[in-house]
Amino acid sequence: MRSWADAIVAAGAVRASHVPEESLGRTELSEVAGAELVEDTEVRIHPLDPGGVIAPPATASFLDGIQRWKVTYYDGAVPIVRAYVASAVRRRTGDRRLRVVGETTREFHAAAVAALRPGVRAALEASGVDLVDVPQEALGQPGPALEAARRAVENARVALEKDLAERHLASLGAEEWFVVDGVLSESARLAGHPRALGVIKSHGAQYFEGDALTRALTLPALHRTSVFRPRGRAHHEVYSWYLRLWPWEGNDLLFGLLRVEARAHPATVTAASGVSGWLARERAPVSTPDARWDRLLYPIHDVETYLRARAPRDLLPSPASRLPKAAS
Amino acid sequence: MIQKRAPEPVGRVVATELKPATPHQFHFWTATETAIGIGAIVRVEGSGTGEEGRVVFGVVTDGFAYSDLATPLHDVVGADGDPARAADSPTVRQEIRLWTAAVLRQEPEEPLQPVPLGRVFVATDPDVARALRMETYLQGATPTAIPVGLYTSGGLEAPVYLDADFLHGPEAAHLNISGVSGLATKTSAVEFLLSSIFQHFPAHKGRIAAVCFNVKGPDLCFLDQPGSLDDADRRRYERLGVAPQPFRRVRYYAPFKADGVNLNTLRTHPDLVGAVEPLVWGLQEVLDFAEVLLNRDDIDAKADAFIDFLADRVLNREFDDGFGGTHRVQTFADLDALFRAIFDGLELAGRSDMWRTHHIATMRKVRNRLSNISTRCKGLVTDDGPSNDLPWGAFEDRAVYVVDLANVDPLGQDLVFARVVSQLREHLERRDLGVEAVVVFVDELNKYAPADGPDTYVRKMLLDISERGRYLGLVLFGAEQFRSQVHRRVVGNAGTIVYGRMDYDELATPGYQVLSPATKIKLATLPIGELMVRHPHFTQPIFVRFPRPAVLRGRDGVERFPPAADLPFADAVVRQLLRLDRRIRPNAVHDLIVDRAPDDVRRALAATRRARPEDPLAFFRRALGARVAAAEPAGRAREAVPPLNPLSDEPY
Repeated sequence: MRSWADAIVAAGAVRASHVPEESLGRTELSEVAGAELVEDTEVRIHPLDPGGVIAPPATASFLDGIQRWKVTYYDGAVPIVRAYVASAVRRRTGDRRLRVVGETTREFHAAAVAALRPGVRAALEASGVDLVDVPQEALGQPGPALEAARRAVENARVALEKDLAERHLASLGAEEWFVVDGVLSESARLAGHPRALGVIKSHGAQYFEGDALTRALTLPALHRTSVFRPRGRAHHEVYSWYLRLWPWEGNDLLFGLLRVEARAHPATVTAASGVSGWLARERAPVSTPDARWDRLLYPIHDVETYLRARAPRDLLPSPASRLPKAAS
Repeated sequence: MIQKRAPEPVGRVVATELKPATPHQFHFWTATETAIGIGAIVRVEGSGTGEEGRVVFGVVTDGFAYSDLATPLHDVVGADGDPARAADSPTVRQEIRLWTAAVLRQEPEEPLQPVPLGRVFVATDPDVARALRMETYLQGATPTAIPVGLYTSGGLEAPVYLDADFLHGPEAAHLNISGVSGLATKTSAVEFLLSSIFQHFPAHKGRIAAVCFNVKGPDLCFLDQPGSLDDADRRRYERLGVAPQPFRRVRYYAPFKADGVNLNTLRTHPDLVGAVEPLVWGLQEVLDFAEVLLNRDDIDAKADAFIDFLADRVLNREFDDGFGGTHRVQTFADLDALFRAIFDGLELAGRSDMWRTHHIATMRKVRNRLSNISTRCKGLVTDDGPSNDLPWGAFEDRAVYVVDLANVDPLGQDLVFARVVSQLREHLERRDLGVEAVVVFVDELNKYAPADGPDTYVRKMLLDISERGRYLGLVLFGAEQFRSQVHRRVVGNAGTIVYGRMDYDELATPGYQVLSPATKIKLATLPIGELMVRHPHFTQPIFVRFPRPAVLRGRDGVERFPPAADLPFADAVVRQLLRLDRRIRPNAVHDLIVDRAPDDVRRALAATRRARPEDPLAFFRRALGARVAAAEPAGRAREAVPPLNPLSDEPY
């Protein structure tokens, strides 16, 4: 007797294993953005460069950033946060090893300055620490206040990454490609560069609906979608496409799924399969033990490892007991 | 002013809860391309609070490499299961070279603390000297440093020295060297080290000589001949401050073959044989060490007492046998005559089996053992001739005395070894040897001082040297293939231990448990010319490279100076006499000895050799005496001590 599971598979359903934390992406970016196809008249599935014969470029640089923060004080119910953001570029050359060519960090404190009591505020401002003001409307329960602080830290990291990326672009070699973890559309210079690529692992934004969406999200491994122009919150115009690195069947829809951004130019459409081909070659080495290994290119993982290794250790979660401090 | 460039660190100490830094061990990482390897000496500089100025020296004992690969399965996944594609990945995984080092020295030494998590540098020349605590004997008013080899790592060639006070006493002494055979390591290392000792032995410690027992092949037969060196060897000699030259004073001693005139050695080439002295012993020399000839079953109080009686009351004295005969026993033949007189006298008198409280069976046993040595070691032991021995009391400074026993019966080897070493000890005790210190080199130590087996006289003697020789200046340089098979007290008393390439089975024995697996692997694959050295000043074993000895290797020597064929008796006698006087005409000698009994000729030859007269031929003629008839002289029924009678009814 066939089970109901067999029945639905027979009817077209696909077995899956849903892992919400890894699959949802950044929920705050969720939006129905929409897209305009610039290749094909409907979303189609394209094989990558046949056989993956296009080798990755001889020289390529990879950028990533990290952020770390923790509440170090409360002034009443107002959290005061210590934060660290960092970004680095590591270049890969002929020996296939990655070496740092650019790095920037920032340490600062974040708090709703206006909500602090005068004495605390005065002491903080007099301390000379880099102080970032957190929007005051977020005050109230700890949850929203902390979320506001987190957004402030994230904004600082994005700004840091953008700054470093633009500086690195200025020194980019003639044949060198530049792969950024995240979107290109935050920066006009990145968005317009012919050898800059944005690799997005989170899929909060929705660009298609109906069959087109299904086709994009059930993309077979080592295939890409048609190239499209994303709409929505993008600040600068780019072209984009989905790329599947690993088979999703047996996992979840977003398993191994990347969205690639490149400059908005007809040449991007022509190069999409080739670029996708060499990005697919970046599947090896796999980025384990990172839980996002299916979408995390190893060089990006390497930059992140480098940054984590250099981050202040006091911003790591404390392994110590959270039992009440008797003398406090 | 020229600014000296600060050295670049090659690594950094890391410590985790699972692999912490301790006062005796630490871990550090380096770039994947590094000159660091097993045995490298490094310097760690403390830089944290309270660690400024702290310096730790360590020697690398183990190495690890790994990548960020979580499990091998992920590599399979990344290569789609195709090993050929595994190397195609666009990026090389992050790798680490992690090293474990054992602490050699900390500065300051107190308080003794864990190694600071500081920067790691490759050791320089001065660092090596400090790390190995060599500055204490390299400098000062009376330096005692003996170059042993070059510490080589990452292009650095730093001389490593041993402390003569710990190599020759009185603080510690003796050297033991182990290594598999056939790699020209053990003998070569000892040859180089002897050369180094002779050139660097501190003047304030007096004169020194070496006695080397050549127990196999031609190994030590050409120490006075120059060997071939390449540029690398010459550079190492220069770096070590040792002149690459053969030994200037070498005296060779070898017994005769059974014919009593041809030398039993491979150094018989006409150009070289002149430097070989015959080693011939008579009854006196043998009787002093009769215990060597007796195995455990033989040793009893009765035999011992009878031998003592012979030595104290009979030898070299006028002695009445109690049956009307008077004897003056000086040779084996004299002794046998005494025995025969006693046995005949007892038989004729019909008395009991006792003679002067000694049972006839005991006397027969002692007689058989003594006659056995004269049979088995014919050539070394003369029945009735004078002896020719090492120059006791006239040892020369920086001279090597090679005793060639390669073709001598094992019993004879034991006898020679026991007697030579005993003589050395006695003369050193009396301070009348001619030198203040003697290095005794014994190869195949596992044969003479085995860990298991009977407690022989030779083994007891080696134990005695090992435990007390350092006070006398009697230093044992022992070599063997398997250290585990040598008596633990002999190797345990060696202050300096040297290892060449080792057999892996040997490395698996308990004596090597203190070595890391990586060090064992290195020992099992050591190239020729590299050694691992342990010395009291070094807290950890150190790998050094030594140049080839500047002497002709045994095998090369035999090719360049092929041994001469044995000469007929008469020609051999001529050659012996020619050594004393090159003007002697062979025909004159032939005429003298024709129709003469060989033993008479041998006796006359030995007397001439020992007297070293101004006119050897005339002396030889006188010693030979007047020509006699071919008939046997009366009263001399036998010329040699008869061998043991297998049908003897003695109870032994």
